[in-house]
This record gives sequence, C-alpha cells and structure tokens, in this order.
Amino acid sequence: MEYKVKIGPEIYTVEAAPLDDAGSTNMVLEGETLPVSVRAVAPNHLHLRVGDRTANLFVARTSEGRWIWIDGRARLVQEAGTVERRKARGLAETPCEVTPPTPAAVVRVLVEVGSEVVKGQGLVVVSAMKMEMTLVAPYSGTVRAVNTQVGAQVSPGEILVEIDAGPEGSKDE
Amino acid sequence: MFSKILIANRGEIAVRIMRTAQEMGIRTVAVYSEADRQALHVLTADEAVFLGESDPASSYLNFDKIIAAARETGAEAIHPGYGFLAENPAFAERVASEDLVFIGPPAEVMAKLGNKTTARRLMIENRVPVIPGMNTAATDITSLSVAADELGYPVIVKAAAGGGGKGMRIVESRDALAEAAETAASEALASFGDGSIYLEKYLEKPRHVEFQILADSHGNVVHLFERECSIQRRHQKIIEETPSVALTNELRDRLGAAAVAAARAAGYVNAGTVEFLLDESGEFYFLEVNTRLQVEHPITELTTGLDLVRRQIEIAAEQPLPFTQTDVSRRGHAIECRIYAEDPACSFMPAPGEILFVRAPEGPGVRYDHGVYAGFQVPLQYDPILGKLVVWAEDRTSAIERMIRALKECVILGVRTPIEFLVDVVSSEPFRSGRTHTGFIEEYFAQWHPDRVLDDIAVLGFVAHEMAGPGFAPQGNERARADEWLSPWQRLGTWDLGR
Repeated sequence: MEYKVKIGPEIYTVEAAPLDDAGSTNMVLEGETLPVSVRAVAPNHLHLRVGDRTANLFVARTSEGRWIWIDGRARLVQEAGTVERRKARGLAETPCEVTPPTPAAVVRVLVEVGSEVVKGQGLVVVSAMKMEMTLVAPYSGTVRAVNTQVGAQVSPGEILVEIDAGPEGSKDE
Repeated sequence: MFSKILIANRGEIAVRIMRTAQEMGIRTVAVYSEADRQALHVLTADEAVFLGESDPASSYLNFDKIIAAARETGAEAIHPGYGFLAENPAFAERVASEDLVFIGPPAEVMAKLGNKTTARRLMIENRVPVIPGMNTAATDITSLSVAADELGYPVIVKAAAGGGGKGMRIVESRDALAEAAETAASEALASFGDGSIYLEKYLEKPRHVEFQILADSHGNVVHLFERECSIQRRHQKIIEETPSVALTNELRDRLGAAAVAAARAAGYVNAGTVEFLLDESGEFYFLEVNTRLQVEHPITELTTGLDLVRRQIEIAAEQPLPFTQTDVSRRGHAIECRIYAEDPACSFMPAPGEILFVRAPEGPGVRYDHGVYAGFQVPLQYDPILGKLVVWAEDRTSAIERMIRALKECVILGVRTPIEFLVDVVSSEPFRSGRTHTGFIEEYFAQWHPDRVLDDIAVLGFVAHEMAGPGFAPQGNERARADEWLSPWQRLGTWDLGR
C-alpha cells in the first residue's frame, strides 16, 4: 500500500507491505527498501527497528495529524492528501495577512481606516502570556478595514487589519 | 514552625514548594483560577481554594481573595513563589498587617530593592559597581531621550518596578526609542502594575552571573555561590548552570563578597539573588536584586545539597541559619533547561494548547520540576513555563551529556516546546566551550530550524502506527478516557510485534 506523508513542507512517499505475524515488513521510502519491525509497547509508545537502527517513538493523535516524538524531536506528521485539501499556508514564509500567531488579546491598535502604511510598520499590538507582540504590515498600502478593537480576544486566522496594496506593495508582491 | 501554609502561585513552582512543605510536615493550601481547576498544583495540595476568573487581577494577583483564602483555611504563612505577587511590597505589607507571615523579605526591603533605580542608588552608596544609567525613573519621552543621548546608543529600556525580562527592550537608535518605551511601559504596567521605566547603557556580550544569598532575621548572611544564566531569549533565561566557567576563584570571592555586602546594605532577610553582569574583561556590574526564590534555584540546591524552600520557611519562622559561610560547600556541576510552551522556530512565540502526552525523564542525576500532565490545557493567561529539567553530574562535560540524554527522554506532545532547540544548543560547540553571553542565542541560533535527520524514522513510524491498525490506538479523539483506552488495548492480549 502507498502512503503519502508530510512533515512541514516535505512530502514523503512510502510503500509498505502488510505486517507479518512478527510485526515485520519491508517499507520503500523514496526508492530505498528498508526492513522495518514494529512493537507496540503501550498505546502511545511504539518501538521501531529500521535496518540496524532502533527508536522509541511516542505518538499522540490530533485532528491535524499525529505528533511523533523521537529522541527529543517532536514532529507533526500528516497525511499529505488531508493537508492538500486544507491548503495549509507555508509557516516559514513572511505572513501575508495581519493575524496573530497565537490566541491573544489586543492591547493597542496603531492605525485606522485610511491610514497609509509602509511594509514593516506596526499595526496592532497583541498580548499573549504576558508578552506583547506587534503585528506589522506585510506590504505597503492603505488600510481598508480594522476588524478588531482594544481588549478583543483574537485567534490565528482572524484578519485584524486589511490593507489595499499600494504601488510599492504590488511591486513587492 | 508553621502547621499550614498557603502557596499563592500556580504551576511547577507551587508544586515544588508544596513538596518541601509536605516533607516538613506542614499542610499546604493551593489557590487557583478558573483556567487552573484541574492544574497539578491543585491536585497536589492538601486543600485548594478557588479564587475567581482566569485573568490574574481576579485570581493570582488579587490580595483580598488570597488573604481571605488564608483566613478561611487557617494558614499561618503565605509563600508567593516567583512572579505574580512575589516581589510586590504592598502584598507583603498586607500579609504582615493581617498577622500572617510572608515567606520572603520584609516589605520595606522589597520596596527598596524592587525599585530598580532606588536599588542602583543604594548600591552606589555601598560601593557596589553599577551599569552606567539613570538613577531615577521617567515616563516622558523627552527626559528618556536626553538620558539616552548622554549614555550613547545602544541603550536598554527597563521597567523600574520589576525584572524577569518583562518590560525590557534594547534600543539601537534614537528613532526607535519612543515605540520601545511605550511597549516596555505597557508591558511593565501589565506585569507589575507600574509602568515607570528607566534606561541603562547596553553592554555588548556580557555574561549574566548571579549569587544566591540567604539571610536570617538574626543578622547572618551567607552566599551559596553563583549561577550563570547567560543563555537567554527575549531577556529571559532559558539555560542556567553552576559553577560559571567565567569565574576564577579570586573573582568568585569578590562577587560573593559584593553580593553579601548588597544584602547587608539593604537589610535583607530570607532567600534572594544578587544579579551581576560580567563583561569580557572581567569587570562586573550590579544588575538587580531579585527578592524571591528564583526559577533556577534547583541548580544551587543540587550542587550545595541545601533545600532553599526549607531555608525560606525556617527563616520566615525566625529560626537562625544552622550554618555559616565556611560550612557552605558545593560539588559537581548542575545545569537547568526551562521548558516553555513556545515555538523556538517562530521567534519563541507562546504556544498554548492541550498537552496530549507526557513522559518524565528519569535516571541518575535528573530532576524534573513541572506542572503538567496529559489532558492539561496550557492557559493563555499566564507565563507559559511548563517545567524545568535539571541535571547534576561530577563535572561540566558529564553534566552536558546528561542534559542531552535527559532532554531526549523528556516527552511532551500536543504543544510546541523548545526541547529540540535546547538539545541543539547544549550540544553545540560554543556552549560546550563555554563561550556564553546574553546575546548567545541571537549570535549562534537566530536562524535555528528543526534538523531533518530523524524525519525518515518519523515517516516510517507514522506508517507503522497506521498499519498497526485501529486496535493499536483508538480512532479519533486522543482525549479518550483511560478506561476507553484500555478495552481495545487489553483485547490485544499478548500482541507483541517485532521481537
């Protein structure tokens, strides 16, 4: 059976035959055939042998995928099909929307509708866990809408300020 | 000695204080907010009193409710932990006026030292060297601007009313001063209830070296050596160790003497920490006195063998210190890593959420002080510290290897944590060779991203977990209760794959 699995921006293709009675199989990862043995230790704990490497994996499911822990490294591993349907945004890129990175409270709104802003200018200051963060303009332009106010509780994905890109902004994009 | 104390705090530090109290035969009272109904400190205490809504003003910062909780439960003393009311002299005053004991320094000492500009003046009078800067706080941009021009940029904006990195901003040039001052003042107001700020000259690449002191109410003052806390992000310590590689015995003696002098000058009583910055030439400058138990106190406990919370409680009960400076010795090397709910690959942004799975590190020389468990919701309203991983070993090299091993065993799934980042920092050549300074993270780890070296195993593990079938773990909700978990699991019987 073929699986398409995603970690961050990387998509990996794995072909795997069913596990035999001893929990062993061969898996083909990106063209390389690897003997794999699986041992279920506890509901969240998997002991894996891949060739001559062994690892204890700790797994927790979420609605987005599975958190897998190996040797201090936690990875959110997702089925690539699911992710494509969701059109997840690239997190490493410069954010192109004015939205908080974490649930937060709005402390100050620094612009109003009609304000001319330049790329990098502070728009809204939010506070989460006693830390203040300034959300900045992703490109230069004119503020079209301010969708929040001081004291509001806001979440990632909520667009707090909308900006019509000016000539310089469109050049940047 | 007290028979019951109230711990006016939450999370790992509340749990840590309760443990010592339990060992001393003292009953413990927890207080909690709406967000912490199921928190570990509530489950650990003998009694727990609900304070109110989750915002700190209605709960952990609310004098009236905390005093009422102490009255209601018959607690004789209040331990404030760190943060919240720990360095609030008005609270210490209030506790004393209610005939309760505040486990910490007297209100007037705290007021004197808690105000950073007053503390600077006190140190100058007592010949303890201070960083060039303002000796009075200001709120107007004009006087700040004048002072900054005199000091020369870069300068650092600091909250006059408190430390811990809150309300602190480095300013590189004049045009950035106004925005930094406003943000710092607002953060200071939110954290300490006082928005006044002042400026100090920003030192390049200093080390942060602090001395733990203990002072009893009979005039005895000792220091318990240093902690180096140079590894910081956002002016908050994330890795601390003792001894510091930067101190010769001669310099250590001078700093220790300065710390004791500072404590005596202030009339200090209880546990406190005198912080210094050490520049590349070995010159040191007084930074501030933290009038509380420090987050990083465990590394001092592991190397000196002393329980600082026990000493705090004994001192508050007016007992004399049972030892003098010459009795204090230490052994080996200790390192602490702080584990926050935050994303090290994204500017250490706080990452609240639900903890899905935890597994504590174990084995020789490992101590894990934490306040979380699977199913706990990390609240948005408070400092996002989850726990502290502390190791002890006979020397620094062994302590580093032990920390790497323990971090790899410290499983937390569900929220982002810096554990992977900490493994990389502690393993790095600059850390191993001790080239630490307060700009270390910016210098060596600014562009840090997770290494992909184990991603192939994660991918295969995902597939293996999937193939092991619905019997391996229930479909859907990870939050399933333990009994729901068990039935399909138990049905597996001796299912044991891959010998």
